[in-house]
Amino acid sequence: MAEELVITLAVVFVTAGTLSLIANHFGLSPIPFYIIAGLIAGGFESVTQAEIIVLAQWGIAFLVFVFAIRIDFGDLESVLRDAEIAALTQLAVVAPIAFGVGFGFAELFGFTDPVRNAVYFSAAVVLSSSLVGGVVLGSEIRQNLVHGRLASSIHFFDDLIAIALLLILSTEVVTADAIAAQIGYGVLFVVAGLVIYRHGFPLVVRLAAGDGELVLVGSISILIAFIGAAEYVGLSIVVGAFAAGVAIRSDGTQALEVQNGIDSITDFFVAIFFVTVGALVTFPSLEVLLIAGALTGLVLVLNPLVHVLSFIYEGYDARTAFLAGSSLNQVSEFALIIAIQALLMGTIAEAVFEAIILAAAATMLITFLARRSEDTVYEIVVARLFRGQRTRKVDERSHVDNLTGHAVVVGYGRIGRRLVQTLEEFDQSYVVLENDPVLWDELNAECRNYVLGDALAEYPWQKAQIDDAALVVSTVDHRPVSETILEREPDADVLLRSESADTASELLEAGATHVAVPNVLAGEQLVSTVEDLASGDTDAAALEQAQLEYFQTLERYGFASRDERI
Amino acid sequence: MSEIALAADFAIIVVVATGIGLIARQTGQPTIIAYILTGIILGPVVFDVVTEEGLVELMADLGFAFLLFLLGLKMRFEDIREILPAVTNVAIGQTVMQTALAFLVAWALGFGTTEILVISLATVFGATPIIVKILTDKDEITSLPGKIDVGVLIVQDIYLVVVLALFTADELGNAADIASTLGIILVMMSFIGIFSLFSSRYILPGLFRRIADNKDVFLIVAIAWAFLFVAIAEGADLDPKVGAFLAGISLAQLPYSKELEDRITPITDFFILVFFATIGLQIDGLSSLLAYWWQAIVASIVLMVGNFWIMFYLIDREGFDVETSFLGSINMVQVSEFSLIVGALAIDQGYIGPDVLGYLSLMALLTMGVSTYIIAYNHAIYARLEPWFQRFETDEEKDAEISTYQNHAIAIGYDEITERALPLLEDTYEEVVVIDRQTDHIEALEEAGRYEYVFGDFRHTEVRKEANLKGAKFVLSSSVEREVNEALLEEVDDEATVFVEAERIDDARALYNRGATYVVMSTHMAAEKLSEYLELYVSDKQTFDETIARDVEGIRARQGGHRRAGADGMATGGRVDDEPVDDADRTPGGDIDG
Repeated sequence: MAEELVITLAVVFVTAGTLSLIANHFGLSPIPFYIIAGLIAGGFESVTQAEIIVLAQWGIAFLVFVFAIRIDFGDLESVLRDAEIAALTQLAVVAPIAFGVGFGFAELFGFTDPVRNAVYFSAAVVLSSSLVGGVVLGSEIRQNLVHGRLASSIHFFDDLIAIALLLILSTEVVTADAIAAQIGYGVLFVVAGLVIYRHGFPLVVRLAAGDGELVLVGSISILIAFIGAAEYVGLSIVVGAFAAGVAIRSDGTQALEVQNGIDSITDFFVAIFFVTVGALVTFPSLEVLLIAGALTGLVLVLNPLVHVLSFIYEGYDARTAFLAGSSLNQVSEFALIIAIQALLMGTIAEAVFEAIILAAAATMLITFLARRSEDTVYEIVVARLFRGQRTRKVDERSHVDNLTGHAVVVGYGRIGRRLVQTLEEFDQSYVVLENDPVLWDELNAECRNYVLGDALAEYPWQKAQIDDAALVVSTVDHRPVSETILEREPDADVLLRSESADTASELLEAGATHVAVPNVLAGEQLVSTVEDLASGDTDAAALEQAQLEYFQTLERYGFASRDERI
Repeated sequence: MSEIALAADFAIIVVVATGIGLIARQTGQPTIIAYILTGIILGPVVFDVVTEEGLVELMADLGFAFLLFLLGLKMRFEDIREILPAVTNVAIGQTVMQTALAFLVAWALGFGTTEILVISLATVFGATPIIVKILTDKDEITSLPGKIDVGVLIVQDIYLVVVLALFTADELGNAADIASTLGIILVMMSFIGIFSLFSSRYILPGLFRRIADNKDVFLIVAIAWAFLFVAIAEGADLDPKVGAFLAGISLAQLPYSKELEDRITPITDFFILVFFATIGLQIDGLSSLLAYWWQAIVASIVLMVGNFWIMFYLIDREGFDVETSFLGSINMVQVSEFSLIVGALAIDQGYIGPDVLGYLSLMALLTMGVSTYIIAYNHAIYARLEPWFQRFETDEEKDAEISTYQNHAIAIGYDEITERALPLLEDTYEEVVVIDRQTDHIEALEEAGRYEYVFGDFRHTEVRKEANLKGAKFVLSSSVEREVNEALLEEVDDEATVFVEAERIDDARALYNRGATYVVMSTHMAAEKLSEYLELYVSDKQTFDETIARDVEGIRARQGGHRRAGADGMATGGRVDDEPVDDADRTPGGDIDG
């Protein structure tokens, strides 16, 4: 018995491992490849036996658990600010259309519960994947680009919606009472999670007295207890796992070890989950392909379209809107969880289930491929479509006097603010170029001249009167922006910023006057500080004192970072 | 929905084990005892609510397989090569002598002939999971006694695999059958062993070089590798755990093994809990457990003492010093979990009744229980007994103590921030260890051959241990992640100088509060610098031009410096430690690079 299971797991992991090599080679997310591994491993009947499905459920539980542990409630506000309008538009526009299409299919093929199946279909269209999106947008999120932040906010919002949906959909019979009861339980669970966060988990940590293994096992016990309770009252295990995640503290000195532990265990079970999901698909029939095709089409076209339009409506420039929107074009892993839960409850039609899984694998792959041709699509299609809007919008949201011999400051983050202050001190005329509409209020209040627009587009530069400028300073460490500035070959001096000395040299070759490399500066400061310490010129206490005073000065002038996410 | 999710049995085990584990922790008991106790309480002996079937059995199997995989991961040939012959001698001697002792004891206690044979074959001393687990927890698994024990256990495991295979083989009518079965087992094992060695030399380095940067793929491929070997071993009718162990060994030879150890350890911890609980679950009931209670107690005492002296004699004979021999022997005074497995098989084959299994189980429990304390306090025990044991001291003894870094400097991350400081640190602290999670950085370091390095994520305990963070005099972190730096400050010696980096002012303050010597903030430095330029530009264009010209030279000089030299094969003149500009504001120029 156990031997057969071990062999089955061997099949699961060896196929998943082999295919993830391909994913790694092309820099793609391994998740669609796990699903494909499942399609292949599905040939072994044992992969879908009951015990393996249970392990796959553990994958779901851990996936949600980790998601909930990572939630930083401090971020919620800025996420809402970013995602509110776009995500709600999505719900108001795309969800009904998708529901209609889903309902049509259900009627056409005569599924038993057309409404429910339409809901599953629609959820698969609307929700986008934070796991895959995280890989797609990895460098953008790290570099703090606006579209990366927007997309990850939407992903996060979608995940929360998915959990709410799972809460509602785990009722067998949908009535107002039943849903109210579900929500009541759901709230109760999260409250219980918060109570344990305050009192229970710290107790576990204290009792474990520094034994990381016990804290890890204790965290998993909390997960199990919540899942058990959820099952007892007839809730989805996902809700239990979510509440359990809320209960685990992700700060404190034990946190690193515990999080590492949970991450490893999660990776193990999540691989089983995705492979099993893939293995549940039998050879697809025409019906399945048709539904999957429609689903893929909606996810790839309708979804991004609505996102792009609502971002533009919110005041983002066309490029940011397009880049953010087009990274939201994949089926979410939560849609898979919803589907597999429905399958276990027996409320989803086989065809819809298989279609969702196939479409998930397909869109998760296509999202990477689409990424490669994104710039071309943007230049050929989107840029032309929105040309009029781009100039009008920029005009509307900018304020520039007639300038000459001025400085253009690109980016209004910490460095940008600092530079503006220096320029004001010396009474030098300047204009700030920034693309994040969230900063518009500040620009409006603090800067004499500013342009709100895309530094990669033509018009904002005209608006900033680049041809008459004497100096361009870019605080943005993003290669395309630096290159755009240099390609314009302005008469002005150009100061840029870059990550590494190598890039800096290339930019200097390309005509930059100078390139600041923060890492090199930091390295230099480091060496001189170490030398000072070693020679006894200063001591640790004096250093700390000087630094703390410096921080106070920075904060007094408002140069500290104001927002965790900007 | 309700019937699927969680496989209740397994869930109950985890929750109860946590509870007992926390209680045990308060009284200073090892967690293993808590886990075995969980099994006894939940199993037939007390409540009888959990059975060892289906998922529980699978997870126990996985737990043991992962433990051996992990054990394999710790086995670097270069570390054990010198003690290998000695260990083999000890293992063979120990197996023969303690089997004889167990035979004598069983005979003296008056068991029947078949029973005596089964008991003496089943009573093997040295329980791999217990010794490995406790020594790992105590951070002694790579000490010399730890290595001797592990070496002996491995040789012993090979012997046990053979015994098990013999017990499971249906037809063992005559000597020829036994010989041919043995032959097949040995051929298969050497075949898999050779494959593992071959791949560790020719396949794995290239493969893992590609994937080590991607932490998800890295883990999944490593697990896949373990399962591949498990499947091969299973296919060859061998114990799958041996496969897991060999898979671990082949990965251990890679520079990425420390990082992998850290990723595998939590999975092992999770499943091994179930494994230890199943030891308790296997006991049939109180009556059979206690059927031979006094015999079991007598045998336990005699065998523990006897086995200690057997081991002590054998290790001492190989020329290790007294302390090493003492610790190596006293760690091994418990009956192996294999005795339960062999016992269970013997029941299936009808060689013994459940009462004899009860005897074996009780002996295993007693010796395991006592020995967890012995191992946990092995140094304290030795300190007490040292005067007496000094009499075994001889002049010529091997000193194979493992070297660790001490009073060294550690740099976390090999990037443009840290690389400048490394030569300076080398001058001051002699030894510099770089911790980095990126394969290309590690390769550059390897090629330069100037600094020690550890591949891995600083978040991982094993990685920090490998670099001996606690013993470092100077630590420089170029990570801006606050929790990483906080963990660093928590663990590092109070006297050490610690330079960390932060992105935000609040983080920087928090780090100072936790004892950082200096917090670097590169974004604010860039702001400072750019604003300086601007000031000059606006007020004094000529000075601006001069400063810029100088600083540009500085950047040009940096390019083709360290890291490029590593990557491009020293095309820039062979000196990897070109000292470019010391400070951007000092006069650099063409004289730096000759």
